[in-house]
Amino acid sequence: MAIVPLQYNVRSLFVRSSSTILTVLAVGATIAVLAGMLSLQQGFAVLFQERGRTDLALFMRQGATSEGESGITLEQCNILKKEVPEVIRDDGGRPMASAEMFLAVRLRKFDGGETNVAIRGVEPMTFAIHGDDVVITEGENFTPGTDELIVGVGLLERIANCRVGDNLQINTSTFRIVGAFSGKGGYRSEIWGDVDRLSDALERPVRSRILARVSPDADLDAIAARYDDDLRLQPKVMNERDYLASQTSSLTTRFMFVGGFLALIMGIGAVFTGTNSMLAAIGARTHEIGILKAVGYKPWAIFVAFLGESLLLGLLGGVVGCLLVLPLQGAETGTVNSTFSEVTFAFRTTPAAMLTSILFAAGLGIVGGVVPAWRASRMTPTQALRRG
Amino acid sequence: MPAAIRLRSVTKSYSKGGQTLRVLDELDLDMDAATFYALMGPSGSGKTTLLNLVGGLDQADEGVVQVGDEDLAAMQSSELAEWRSEHVGFVFQGFNLLPVLSARENVELPLLLAPLSRRQRRQQAERALELVGLADRMNHKPRELSGGQEQRVAIARAIATDPQVILADEPTGDLDRDTADAVLEMLRRLNRELHKTILMVTHDPQAATYADKTIHLDKGKLGRIEENATPTGGS
Ligand SMILES: Nc1ncnc2c1ncn2[C@@H]1O[C@H](COP(=O)(O)OP(=O)(O)OP(=O)(O)O)[C@@H](O)[C@H]1O
Ligand SMILES: [Mg+2]
Repeated sequence: MAIVPLQYNVRSLFVRSSSTILTVLAVGATIAVLAGMLSLQQGFAVLFQERGRTDLALFMRQGATSEGESGITLEQCNILKKEVPEVIRDDGGRPMASAEMFLAVRLRKFDGGETNVAIRGVEPMTFAIHGDDVVITEGENFTPGTDELIVGVGLLERIANCRVGDNLQINTSTFRIVGAFSGKGGYRSEIWGDVDRLSDALERPVRSRILARVSPDADLDAIAARYDDDLRLQPKVMNERDYLASQTSSLTTRFMFVGGFLALIMGIGAVFTGTNSMLAAIGARTHEIGILKAVGYKPWAIFVAFLGESLLLGLLGGVVGCLLVLPLQGAETGTVNSTFSEVTFAFRTTPAAMLTSILFAAGLGIVGGVVPAWRASRMTPTQALRRG
Repeated sequence: MPAAIRLRSVTKSYSKGGQTLRVLDELDLDMDAATFYALMGPSGSGKTTLLNLVGGLDQADEGVVQVGDEDLAAMQSSELAEWRSEHVGFVFQGFNLLPVLSARENVELPLLLAPLSRRQRRQQAERALELVGLADRMNHKPRELSGGQEQRVAIARAIATDPQVILADEPTGDLDRDTADAVLEMLRRLNRELHKTILMVTHDPQAATYADKTIHLDKGKLGRIEENATPTGGS
């Protein structure tokens, strides 16, 4: 059961320090990319999940996977607002449902270039539905029926002509920014205004979705089922949390794909660097391997020792990679989401992301060490002692 | 218990570039237990090869290699490794030690393979180092030791597990006369006081005089075995 003492391999790493540093940096760079991607993805997940509510129902066109793709006519909107008994009524007896129009438009960024920004036309009821989740933080709310807009706080520092008091050109109409609001998640990166005025300006005769307050245990599938044979409309109904989760999952997949691909390519490079470093180490220490074997260490003990040394290299690289991304913790950044509009979110280096990265680094170390360690373990003692 | 060594028609060949070189040819050799042997012969005569077979570092193509009660020919490579850790200690010409480990850690290497507690291991390593007169160099790394001291640490490692057989391949080849004499004296003491069976390869006739008997090897064949009537040093 005896293995080669660990300090032999640890100290050997320090002795060949330049080769060790090189390998650790190669692994570290890979891990920084991976940890960075995971942290971005975590930031995304938090952005979308933190505000998903189960007592908000979304009605969209059957088959639409996001509100950007959805279209509901005004008649259909009226039917849904009035006909669905699950929708809660306010003190005045009006259904708490609001038709919204959603579209991404190209706007200029402060740092040059353009980006897609989500424009949402809303009805006064929208604010009642969101309650305290949407708050005016600066200026005032827009007056219904006018060309006034309010801007999500996430856009204030990023998009030109979006400060309170600015005029913003949308298509051929000029809108005036009268306030800023903060909301949960993605709403912070949207521009809101009167739904009818924005529809006119953007020449969109249809609405994107109906947002409605329901009781949290309302059976949304049953609502959709009632319209199965209805010729007027066949809505898709889901609660806000499920909707956001579905939006995040496609983003997550994309992130994981890009990040995973990059990490894989860099990982292959790191594995080669590691293998090379270990092969050089074993070549230089052939005589030492011979001594260990002569003393009585078995082939598998030699294998474990050198695999362990490579694992250690990988772990060191993993720690370095994580240290590289830690300073980015909390940094805000923007990207384009699946509805092609600008969203800002924070970089979140969670323990889980760090752990995943370290495990990946350990994997790189092991994969890079297998061939050299195998070679070391297969040498016969006489071969090893003769070449020294 | 001291071990005797018995070789019967041992053959060992190496093939190099399609050619087969018969290094040991049907060699028969009997060595008594608790005796100090010197092994001499021209370069390339197969001395190291013979030593490696006796030490279980390599295996014969044919024949019997018996050390104590064990027939090494019948063992697998990992069984041989285990056998080595318990029954033989090696001292090579130079570079015997792992450079990143201290003298004590080097001596502990074979002890890690034995079922010992941490404290027993330490004690046994320290005792071995005391025996070779290096108790005060325990925490030194090999590069902080002289050539002679390095060889003495190697001897300490070879005896740390208290094996019956010590095999030394030109242990004084790199040392000056006085240092060599000290190392040879130490080997002889291990034989006289601890009754180790010792087989030492050497090119130096004067080194051979420390042994009880000198075996001569030439082109894979055994020559005469001399008795050294008056060992040097007079102890
Ligand atoms: N692994 C090997 N492969 C091929 N040839 C070998 C191998 N090991 C030894 N030989 C050859 O076998 C012969 C005997 O080698 P060995 O090392 O036993 O000689 P030696 O008596 O110890 O010589 P020296 O005094 O120079 O150390 C030499 O010709 C050597 O080249
Ligand atoms: Mg030799």
